[in-house]
Amino acid sequence: MKIESFLKDVGGASRVTAARREKFRKGSPIPEPEDPIRALSDALHPDKIRFIVTDVRDVSPTSKTWRLRSTDGHIPIFQSGQYVCFHLQIGNSVLNRPYSISSAPFESKCDNPFIEVTIRRNRPYFVPDYFFDHVKVGEVLWGSMPFGTFYYEPLRDSKNVVAIAGGSGITPFVSMAREIAAGWLDVNLTIIYGSVHSSDIVCGRELDEIDRKCDKVKVVHVMSDDPDWQGEKGFVNREIIEKYSGEDTTYMFCGPYAMYTFVEKTMKEMGVPAGKFRKDAIAQPDVSLIPGYPSDKKDEVYTIKVMRGIHEDIIQAAASEPVAVAVERAGIALDTHCRGGECGMCRSQLLEGEIFVSPIGDGRRRMDKELGWFHACSAYPMSDLVIKIPIL
Amino acid sequence: MKFYKEHYDVIIMGAGLAGLSAALQLQARGITDILILEKHNLPGGLATSYVRNGIEIEATLHEMMSIGSKEDRLKVGTFFDEMGIDIDWLKVPEAYRFIEKTKKIDITLHSGFETMSNEIDAQYPGWGDKVYDFMNLCNRVYNSMNILSVTPMSKPEMLKKHPDFVKTVGYSAKQVMETYKFPQDIVDILTPYWIYVGNPMSSLPFTIYAFLMADYFRGGSYVCRNFSHEMSMKLQAKVEENGAQIEFRQEVEKILVRNKKVYGVRTKRGDEIFSDYVISAAYPNKVYTQMIEPLSEVPAGAIKMVNARKLSVCPVSVMMVLDGTPEELGIRDYNVFSGDTMDTDKIWENYHTLGPYGYLTSICLNLANPDCTPEGYTQFSITALPLVDPFLDVKETEYHALKRRLASEMIANYEETTGVNIHDHIVEIEVETPVTVAHYVGAWKGSIYGYSHSLDDHAVARLQMKEEDHFIEGLEFAGAHGISGNGMGPAVTNGRAAAKGVLDSRKEQKEDYRLVSGYMKLADMLNRRKGADK
Ligand SMILES: Cc1cc2nc3c(=O)[nH]c(=O)nc-3n(C[C@H](O)[C@H](O)[C@H](O)COP(=O)(O)OP(=O)(O)OC[C@H]3O[C@@H](n4cnc5c(N)ncnc54)[C@H](O)[C@@H]3O)c2cc1C
Ligand code: FES
Repeated sequence: MKIESFLKDVGGASRVTAARREKFRKGSPIPEPEDPIRALSDALHPDKIRFIVTDVRDVSPTSKTWRLRSTDGHIPIFQSGQYVCFHLQIGNSVLNRPYSISSAPFESKCDNPFIEVTIRRNRPYFVPDYFFDHVKVGEVLWGSMPFGTFYYEPLRDSKNVVAIAGGSGITPFVSMAREIAAGWLDVNLTIIYGSVHSSDIVCGRELDEIDRKCDKVKVVHVMSDDPDWQGEKGFVNREIIEKYSGEDTTYMFCGPYAMYTFVEKTMKEMGVPAGKFRKDAIAQPDVSLIPGYPSDKKDEVYTIKVMRGIHEDIIQAAASEPVAVAVERAGIALDTHCRGGECGMCRSQLLEGEIFVSPIGDGRRRMDKELGWFHACSAYPMSDLVIKIPIL
Repeated sequence: MKFYKEHYDVIIMGAGLAGLSAALQLQARGITDILILEKHNLPGGLATSYVRNGIEIEATLHEMMSIGSKEDRLKVGTFFDEMGIDIDWLKVPEAYRFIEKTKKIDITLHSGFETMSNEIDAQYPGWGDKVYDFMNLCNRVYNSMNILSVTPMSKPEMLKKHPDFVKTVGYSAKQVMETYKFPQDIVDILTPYWIYVGNPMSSLPFTIYAFLMADYFRGGSYVCRNFSHEMSMKLQAKVEENGAQIEFRQEVEKILVRNKKVYGVRTKRGDEIFSDYVISAAYPNKVYTQMIEPLSEVPAGAIKMVNARKLSVCPVSVMMVLDGTPEELGIRDYNVFSGDTMDTDKIWENYHTLGPYGYLTSICLNLANPDCTPEGYTQFSITALPLVDPFLDVKETEYHALKRRLASEMIANYEETTGVNIHDHIVEIEVETPVTVAHYVGAWKGSIYGYSHSLDDHAVARLQMKEEDHFIEGLEFAGAHGISGNGMGPAVTNGRAAAKGVLDSRKEQKEDYRLVSGYMKLADMLNRRKGADK
């Protein structure tokens, strides 16, 4: 075979080597350590953010909103529906907790950017107690954000969104409503919002005000236990949902697990296609509500050998609590984000023993299931265990 | 609290395919005291998957090369077999369907040189034989490349045994193809894969093009039943079974060097761990400009080298789950390459912009792997492979809008080309860009393909200059930035090459040691004799 001439053809290897050598010889000797792509990715997903609480206000008799600014003045861009994860140390426990951001994305892009989270405490509860009792103005909180895939995606979702919320599940929609009201998001949003009694509606006043001012946002309150209420009453049901839905609607749900199971069934009955029903990550409910949980085991206590590198710890673990909680209680750091089994942040290796994996939001990859990897936030010990987790 | 041993024989930073393959190769040669530090919380690097609402989605793998059928295993397939790694490979049904919209070319090619040349002959009668000849040339170059990359040979011997390889090394794919005088349509039809090694045909070495064509058309390509995460997990399991320690969420921040010799690493957490050998997944650009501690240990030559080299392409990939089966949606092809032109210089120009991109590839995973989704859904992606340059100036505030614009343009383009409606069926959608890559695997400037294959950065030249490209003793590189370049198959090969670097250097040291201790014994003997003489 001949390309040009025998001599030129057989000289190819020498030629390309000489060319490469020459190119390197001419290379600039000045180091170029800048990587703008990594810099952008770091700006979008900073490692840890040092927040400072600048305001705390009541948004219902049982709930408060915390306003946070970052001490370096930068807050990464997020989309309504995404959450922030706080890294907390409460007593001996080292933990992370996710909270949907209730402020609007534009508020974190302007001068003096901030985010807000809204937390409800309608009964004593570990982390909410901590926020209500200890997190005051001036307090520093460490967090990471943004996380989650529960947001309006124009490439997929309809312009008409019906949001269905229960209790503190309203927070992502408060963010969305604010963003729409300020003209940053072009969506027609109807919020069907289930509360118990009109005297305690999380962010109720703010939502009603947006409803009044902005014709793209409509709020429909549904009271489950308020005989004097003039509007919709009972639980959010098919009739109410259909009444407020137009043609071509995307439904978005955020609320407690019990409400979710009902809404999901309703969506199926209504024939809503898979792509038109979005749900937020749902925190694991009490084990008594988890389908398939072996309730005869719920009072058992086991030991877990936790391996981090060549280091081992032995800890106690209740069968009624996720493995992640046992680890946190023992003061061992384990990163979690969604705490609902979906995001995979708490992915850990099971070396020995039996676990029960909650079917709610089981986001394990197929190969992980086969080779014994599990999500510690939504798996319960069913025997003594040996697990391996990252060194943090 | 101690999480690590003081010292390891080898530290590998990065549990991507290259890093894991390096570990396997070392273990096969008896080195088992290995620590692998991985930044992310799972193995595989880009060879991974993610789950959205219970549906697992492939993050990258379109087609794995160098696997081959059970009967005709190719290099990487053989290596996995030998290492006892049993992956459930599924053969991709066709090589590609190619649609060139302006000239109205529309042809589907399957693997097998004879099959594909017949398919071309059916549309361009009389040309099949010549295409067959051309593919055989590619195959000879492919075979030679595989042999020569591991067996050094003298020039005359090489010319005698591998004449076609030797004679085509110095030319571009375009130059060699021109000698066949194919009609332009056939040239176009034989071009689509070029983008997997990203450089226009006029500057892409024929050697690399031939390697790609022969590999893909000889054995076909493969995907894993349980996504590329299956491959990563099975490699990891084997590497651990063989005794290596793997720790996730450990980003190596510094590589510790003294007198041009590696002696350990420091992680972001602050752990200092020692070893005489470090294999790096991080790009040389990052290692030589940020990671070596102290930076004064970095020789000027290393900086000149990384500054001179050009990065290859990066991805813009729209990954979707659609409601409906491929049949219901009207998607018939596993892989479609399409564009308005197949002039790769023009495409290259377009790929230096932020779109709209004309040249696209789409993958419908269900057509190779029917149970990759629950019944009634389809997993589908559209990808463009532009240069990173236009992305360097993107602002944080523009990023999401840019992603959405690119995605909707790509979807519209595909819809117009094939007549399939995508946008009404989207259940899940994620858009991957160089920024996504930088975020998950930390690759330099979001690169996935290492350094560009070009006539002045030729794989053969890389091989010849192996010694002079090596600047710090004990430091090897395993990744798409290696000699074989990008792709999952080459990543495995690059990992093995890095292991070989370590093995050779240990052997040298052993020989040095043997030599020195031999002399010492001799001297000792002479001294004793001298004493005896006295
Ligand atoms: C959309 C898309 C489609 C693709 N399709 C295909 C295809 O069909 N076929 C194909 O063959 N190839 C394909 N590729 C390319 C292929 O994925 C890559 O070329 C290959 O996986 C590279 O492997 P690697 O081991 O070199 O690097 P990576 O996969 O990037 O692995 C590097 C690993 O090192 C870790 N790491 C990096 N720096 C550090 C540090 N400082 N400390 C600790 N850990 C670190 C990273 O977290 C990562 O896990 C595709 C890529 C993309 C993005
Ligand atoms: S924290 Fe998200 S899966 Fe466990």
